[in-house]
Amino acid sequence: MAYNELIKNFEKVRAYMREFYVYGFKSRTEYDAKSARSYDDERRRLESWLGDYMRFTQTPEGKNVFLSVDSRVTRKNPFYKAWKAKSFTDGDITLHFAIFDILHDPEIKKTLTELIEEIDELLSSSVTFDESTLRKKLKEYAEEGIIQIEKEGRKVLYSRTPDTDITALNDVIDFFSEVAPCGVVGSFLQDKQQEHPELFSFKHHYITQAMDSDVMATLFEAIRGHRYITIDNLGKHSNEVRTVRLVPLKIYISAQNGRQNLLAFHEKANRLNSYRVDYMSNIRIEDEICEKFDALRDALGKVEAHMWGVNCKWNIKHVEHVEFEIKIEDDEQFIVHRLEREKRCGRVEKIDENHYRYIAEVFDTTEMLPWIRTFISRITRMNFSNRTAENKFKADIQEMYRMYGIDGGDAQ
Amino acid sequence: MIFSELYSVYYNTVAKIIEVAFNPEATEKDLQRCVMEEAFSESVLTILPALKSGKWPLLNEDLSPALLHKPTMPLTNLEKRWLKAISEDPRVKLFGVDFPDLDDVEPLFTRDDYKIYDQYSDGDPFEDEKYIKHFRLMFSAIRNNRPVRITMVNRHGKEVWVRFYPKGFEYSVKDDKIRILATGCKFKQFNLGRVVNCDFYNGYGPWREKPQVERRKDLTLLITDQRNALERAMLHFAHFEKQAERTGDDKYILRLKYYENDETEIVIRVLSFGPYIKVLEPQSFVNLIKERLISQKSCELK
Repeated sequence: MAYNELIKNFEKVRAYMREFYVYGFKSRTEYDAKSARSYDDERRRLESWLGDYMRFTQTPEGKNVFLSVDSRVTRKNPFYKAWKAKSFTDGDITLHFAIFDILHDPEIKKTLTELIEEIDELLSSSVTFDESTLRKKLKEYAEEGIIQIEKEGRKVLYSRTPDTDITALNDVIDFFSEVAPCGVVGSFLQDKQQEHPELFSFKHHYITQAMDSDVMATLFEAIRGHRYITIDNLGKHSNEVRTVRLVPLKIYISAQNGRQNLLAFHEKANRLNSYRVDYMSNIRIEDEICEKFDALRDALGKVEAHMWGVNCKWNIKHVEHVEFEIKIEDDEQFIVHRLEREKRCGRVEKIDENHYRYIAEVFDTTEMLPWIRTFISRITRMNFSNRTAENKFKADIQEMYRMYGIDGGDAQ
Repeated sequence: MIFSELYSVYYNTVAKIIEVAFNPEATEKDLQRCVMEEAFSESVLTILPALKSGKWPLLNEDLSPALLHKPTMPLTNLEKRWLKAISEDPRVKLFGVDFPDLDDVEPLFTRDDYKIYDQYSDGDPFEDEKYIKHFRLMFSAIRNNRPVRITMVNRHGKEVWVRFYPKGFEYSVKDDKIRILATGCKFKQFNLGRVVNCDFYNGYGPWREKPQVERRKDLTLLITDQRNALERAMLHFAHFEKQAERTGDDKYILRLKYYENDETEIVIRVLSFGPYIKVLEPQSFVNLIKERLISQKSCELK
């Protein structure tokens, strides 16, 4: 098939965008395992959509393509553009503009036959549409909420949904398009707005979430409806895709590592598990409603006090004790403030003017290690009930001494 | 659900072209400009040719519109549901705007459906009346290009005042704070949450002072891909301008650019990866890590 800059299915480009943006060190030959043609097409599309952010580098293995974005400077998430590249037929676009031209006012109501006649007239019969095509399109638009269908006696009448005035919301939409979940929808709304100066920029801004917008929206839809879902899930530690049936409960979004997780009840295993949103695909919402959704949500709420990250269990008896102490200088009260504002659970205790202790009971000590490492330079004591985690932490510090030549030896 | 031609660049561009074509003086160049401004870089090869050839019979041969009205489309359910969701966010109160009637619309999500689990807990008081008042004054000052005078408590606990031109806002989801970007004074930004009082400044200049341009610095890191460190690091540092390169079986070099003022933050972010990330360059940054490790060693952690 000839190259087209528009696409029918988002899944393939989602994978390429992730490769180019998150990693960006693979050469073309490494993608060739899949299909050279496919690589060339996807690269060309991404260049067409995101040319300003596309970079190239030459390595011994060949030319590497990658995406590089300083999201503090970019006021609009550039990846939203990919969501605006859906392909369509000549008939789709023609019909779209013709329908809304005839139904230009919500007061105008037409039958299917009237619409067919008027479309023929409008387009001077250069293209004709049969009733079934038009009916299908109108039904699709009714589901999207942009067309209303009503019955008047035996007649079925079609009209446009009344317009919603969003002119006062320019700044609100600019802000939430970048900070709210499914912000791409805000970007669709921005496309309808008049140009205006944008007042907001964003720091610590993970724009990768854009690629998972459809998965997120589908999960929210299921959560709102208390529905069961079936997903294709790529294993965290394997390349195997497994189909799992879940009750989705809540989305956990990270502001520090760019990841989004679904917390869900795996009924068959009777477990509360977390699933990476970027590893999910093909989400199917089932008709069946989970009657115990509220109870599951409440139960999740109860165990949240022991979650540092996204790992959790039903039973809080399975928590691990974490305790560490730090020293501060007289003018380093900001370190105590750091402990207080960055802790997500547990408590901070003052030992004396220059020593503080952090104590928590968590499901997974290893999730805390990266945070505890940020206090390297002042950790005086630690006591984890998970001895493996404690030993690992200490061994890692020894390894860092070695790496940087602190233990008297040469740096590695 | 989200991936639909209704939101596509092509539909939006065609709508724009038809709108422009309603002007009897519009030329083909004007229509072409719509494609260049609205669509993708290769769209020039498809959109106007399809309209001119009658493949999409929405323009007449003389490029006047075949339609009778400028194209418009109502909001979709998805758009309304997202608007409803954000209308329930506490931060929306900052803007003081009335939302359209969305009473019969189900929100796409609520605050109970998601959690930002690693956001710092001392975020700005978005629902505090005084904070909202300060935000709106800054907002008005930015829009009208007017200077302001603020009083705030500095890091030594002393009240100080400063005058400047606010130029924009910067929001960090991690800190959950808004910073005011400034010019006309020596500081680049102020935490909105630390403002005690503010008002328009009606005095005179001079406004010669400018904040120093924030220097960007290069950092080269060596990642050892154990315990999924590569993926964790690449996602963690994804929001920087960066470039990665594979140097060995499980070794990768990551080069990124960071802002000088954020150096301490970057140091602790690098430390959080433990021995899986080693700083290669610059030496000044290596020394910052070494200083912390030397201090740690003196703690005699057993």
